[in-house]
Amino acid sequence: MEYTISDRAKKVTLGLALVGLVLLVIGFFSQKDFVYAEKINDHAVSIKYNGKAGTDLQDQLKEKIKQKMHGYKVDFHDAHAHHDNHTENHHASEESESEHETLHASTGSEHADHAAHHGPTFVWDVHLDHEETAENHGGHHESGADQLVSMVESGEISFADKGNRRFWSNLLVNGFFFFGISLGALFYLALHYATESGWGVVLLRIFEGIMSAMPIGIAVLLVVLIVGSFGGHHIYPWMDPEYTDPNSAHFDPIIFGKKAYLNLPFFWIRALAYFATFYLFLRWFKKKSRQEDREGGTESHFKMYRRGALFLVFFAVFSSTMAWDFIMSIDTHWFSTLFGWYVFSGIWLSGMIMVMMVTLYLRKRGYLPYVNESHIHDVGKWMFALSFLWSYLWFSQFMLIWYSNIPEEVIYFTERIENYKILFFGTFIVNFFFPMVFFMSRDTKRSAGYLIVIGLMIFVGHWFDVFNMVMPGTLFDQWELGLLELGMFMMFLGTFVYTVLRAISKAPLLQKNHPYLEESKHHEF
Amino acid sequence: MADKVIYAMYDDDDTLMNGAKHLVKEGVKVSDVYSPMPLHGIDPIIGVEPTRLGIAAFLYGLTGTMLAIIGIRYMMIIDWPMNIGGKPNFSLHENMLSFVPIFFEFTVLCAAHGMAITYLLRNKTLPGMPARNPDPRTTDDKFIIEIKSSENAHIEDKKLSDLIKSTGFIEIEEKKY
Repeated sequence: MEYTISDRAKKVTLGLALVGLVLLVIGFFSQKDFVYAEKINDHAVSIKYNGKAGTDLQDQLKEKIKQKMHGYKVDFHDAHAHHDNHTENHHASEESESEHETLHASTGSEHADHAAHHGPTFVWDVHLDHEETAENHGGHHESGADQLVSMVESGEISFADKGNRRFWSNLLVNGFFFFGISLGALFYLALHYATESGWGVVLLRIFEGIMSAMPIGIAVLLVVLIVGSFGGHHIYPWMDPEYTDPNSAHFDPIIFGKKAYLNLPFFWIRALAYFATFYLFLRWFKKKSRQEDREGGTESHFKMYRRGALFLVFFAVFSSTMAWDFIMSIDTHWFSTLFGWYVFSGIWLSGMIMVMMVTLYLRKRGYLPYVNESHIHDVGKWMFALSFLWSYLWFSQFMLIWYSNIPEEVIYFTERIENYKILFFGTFIVNFFFPMVFFMSRDTKRSAGYLIVIGLMIFVGHWFDVFNMVMPGTLFDQWELGLLELGMFMMFLGTFVYTVLRAISKAPLLQKNHPYLEESKHHEF
Repeated sequence: MADKVIYAMYDDDDTLMNGAKHLVKEGVKVSDVYSPMPLHGIDPIIGVEPTRLGIAAFLYGLTGTMLAIIGIRYMMIIDWPMNIGGKPNFSLHENMLSFVPIFFEFTVLCAAHGMAITYLLRNKTLPGMPARNPDPRTTDDKFIIEIKSSENAHIEDKKLSDLIKSTGFIEIEEKKY
């Protein structure tokens, strides 16, 4: 049976994408502004901020700078309170430069007076003096001022991000999440062929439709990676040549040690290999199944059977290395061998939920006469089982690192628990307990209501899982959930679902010459 | 009470399923079906109630979790607290994460064993128990429907045998108990 997108579906999905785009634009331009830093000399840095932050937040930032610049005596002087939000960078620097001399002599009481008059915008002159007992002086290659500037620039000290980190991180989160959904569908299709399964034949065209939306994810990831490679954002620290240059002030021996794997040429070879492999297999599978429709026989089927097994071989390697390259390398110092499987389980599960949602929708509209309760139940079982696989890997990674408590490993979770506590544990609770409690029973796995409500919650939960993987390494404690995040997610979701439905409408919903079609039609247990 | 039991044997599971459906539709009470493999969908046809093994499994699992918690609390916290890798076992709550694998394993152990033993007991098929199937061929490639006359007193003998005849069995046997 042919499927054509109804006007309503078109309006809903594209409308969702459009509303998402509007929210994204509003969110993007209403972001909090960030902190600039400029070095004046080795002992003085000018920090400027032209957003809106109250006295409390400013004091917190001061405390933070003091903490980070441990070993230095830090003095703050309010150079000038700008009420003009459009302060140009160079303009401000000139101003603070000129005021630097006069304010250097400002006394503590004056400083307190100034503090009472904090407006929304500030320019601080920060003076850094070595404490008289500073014992680690000899070991420093860089001056305190350089350190402070680099910390501000990397986003370690800030109210929000520099270089639109938030935007780029979100683009990475959504790009990877929706790329993963298509990849999960492609993987399952290959698995279905490689294992010569029969039950799911009536669903295969839905898998095909979902994997057809992969170009969206590929394109977005490519944009993120290309801009990153040219230094447009700092999501991947190892892409910054300064860290691997032994003569640089920012030289990072750990990243340098990983240079053999994490370097741009090799990274791009890998990234292009992933995309090319996945996309070519995708195209090939689609072509073959159409050919089977036309010609019949078992020749295409056995070709797909062998090619499916071959794909699994590639996927076994690439799914892990892809997770390391795209996600794990954000926290370049950290490593976990389990990470690839953990990401993969999330990918597979998100793919399965998408399959379930599309199937339920099409079935409701009467397009899938051969999909019966048992098929729905089986996909439901996958959702249940994969939630457990994901939880198992989540917990294994967490528990082993928590237990051994090695600083270089545990930092990953310390950051997440300190700054993302609710999200971090919330994701686990939603993604583990909800499926466990609600999908344990046979009846709920056959009920569209349960599947949709709980399924969507887990779906969003897994979006947050990707969020948790990316944000702590890019935005640190500066993350936010606002219109930007919501808008971008809606935009991606709408576009993705529309693309999937359009891809499904391009081919008959039933693979009429699949050798196991009869078995699948009579699937019952 | 003297009871007459009729065993109708089939060589195909579909024939048996259709036959059973037909008999039940005509008001015959089929007391049991013997088969070498699980026949999916036979339970609702002959009116077997849904199994309660799942509930039993849950209770066994819960017992296992409780036992594991009590055991760990006694062994690792109260009786002999140890300091493992800088994580002293002075509190169950704080070390809960490291005990989760034990909770899990013991839960599975208890649920699986409890369930298996209950199943064997309930079916009276513990090792060494006498076989209850009427014909050894039902463990190979034949299927049997069991009909008790005491449960079908409301149907005339003549009509009952006609009904059974129409189901396409290959062999029939009557036993008196």
